[in-house]
Amino acid sequence: MTLYFGTRVIVLATAALLPASLAYSQQKPADRAKAKTVVSPGNVHRAADGHPDLSGTWTFGIDLPHGDLVKVVDGKVTRSHYDQSARHHASDEVPGALPWDKAPSYKPEFEEKVKHLAANESKVDPVFYCDKPGTPRIGSPRKIVQLPKETILLYEDISGDTFRIIPTDGRPHRATANPSAYGDAIGHWEKDTFVVESANFLDDTWFGENGYMHSDKMRVIERLWLTGDNNLVYQATVEDPVVLTKPWTNFARVIPPSNDPIEESPTCKEDDAHRLQNLDHHLQR
Amino acid sequence: MKSRISFVLLGVAMFIPGVSLLAHHSPSAIFDMKKKISLKGAVTKVDWVNPHIVVYMDAKGDDGNVENWKFESNPPRWFTKVGVARADFAAAIGQTVTVEIVKALDGSKYGYLEKIAFPNGNLISLEEGQKEEIHP
Repeated sequence: MTLYFGTRVIVLATAALLPASLAYSQQKPADRAKAKTVVSPGNVHRAADGHPDLSGTWTFGIDLPHGDLVKVVDGKVTRSHYDQSARHHASDEVPGALPWDKAPSYKPEFEEKVKHLAANESKVDPVFYCDKPGTPRIGSPRKIVQLPKETILLYEDISGDTFRIIPTDGRPHRATANPSAYGDAIGHWEKDTFVVESANFLDDTWFGENGYMHSDKMRVIERLWLTGDNNLVYQATVEDPVVLTKPWTNFARVIPPSNDPIEESPTCKEDDAHRLQNLDHHLQR
Repeated sequence: MKSRISFVLLGVAMFIPGVSLLAHHSPSAIFDMKKKISLKGAVTKVDWVNPHIVVYMDAKGDDGNVENWKFESNPPRWFTKVGVARADFAAAIGQTVTVEIVKALDGSKYGYLEKIAFPNGNLISLEEGQKEEIHP
């Protein structure tokens, strides 16, 4: 992770002047709602309760190799290319999206650690060894089942088949839940945006590429909504007053609907790490 | 012992077509990107597992003894998305096929499988594709 020099100066100055508890600017739910509540156009699919209906199967959104596959069968040649648009930054501005930053802003005392993790990613990234990516690194769900009192998110991840059940009946976070990779989630609607707030995380996942470690005090706010042409939009904000100087919002992803059925993920068996000869690595997710 | 396995230097490649975004490590961390080799032998097993599929092949060495090779390739989900199933690879089990790989830097009989050519002319080949803008 790299902080711009100017940003680093500001961070240092802020840290010197303020107690740690005040140096972190918490993003209040009301501010988020006021800033970017989305009113979808009238033609979006809606559930019986009037909210946009996010139910459906959505395009796979995990980075995979970008190459083509050429297949020859009985003399017939086909060339296939896998569409990764659901994983990438949309080429156009996404209506309703929050402003985003390229990288999170870590407190100065954590910069070296993050830098070290990033440099040694192929040896220390939990995902490399088939562990769960956690929230929000797992990205957008492959399938959504929206019910009146809960919404179910289903994923198709290399680490395994993940589900998240998001209560929407107004209950608070569970007081007795064990910390987990995906956290304890509750959901609500801010007009036409479905907002998922997750907390109670284990601290051994990364919330993004480049060694983006976090503490067990991390909170993640995911926002999902439909565009006027019924594509799903997914955008996540990470709050962690222990390690970050301010909340970090990633770019919004536009995810088209998919006819490709969700599949059981084959077992993950990483067995080539012992063959690593250097620390070369690249983006994955 | 010097191997007599049909070993053809196919050319210099700065990266393996199709695997530059393969999950986790860069191919150059494990494989010798400077040369591809061609091997002829019989596929014995296909493991349809994450994060890479694994293909096993037996090929004869220069002393006539069978050498056991192991290849990884792209993730199963990638193959599924581009229209290749496990059965397409499993069709090679018991057949004498020709593969193109890049070898592991550690010198072991391990490689990254890029192409498999069947005796009947059928082919599965990873090719360089259009590069896309990536964000973490």
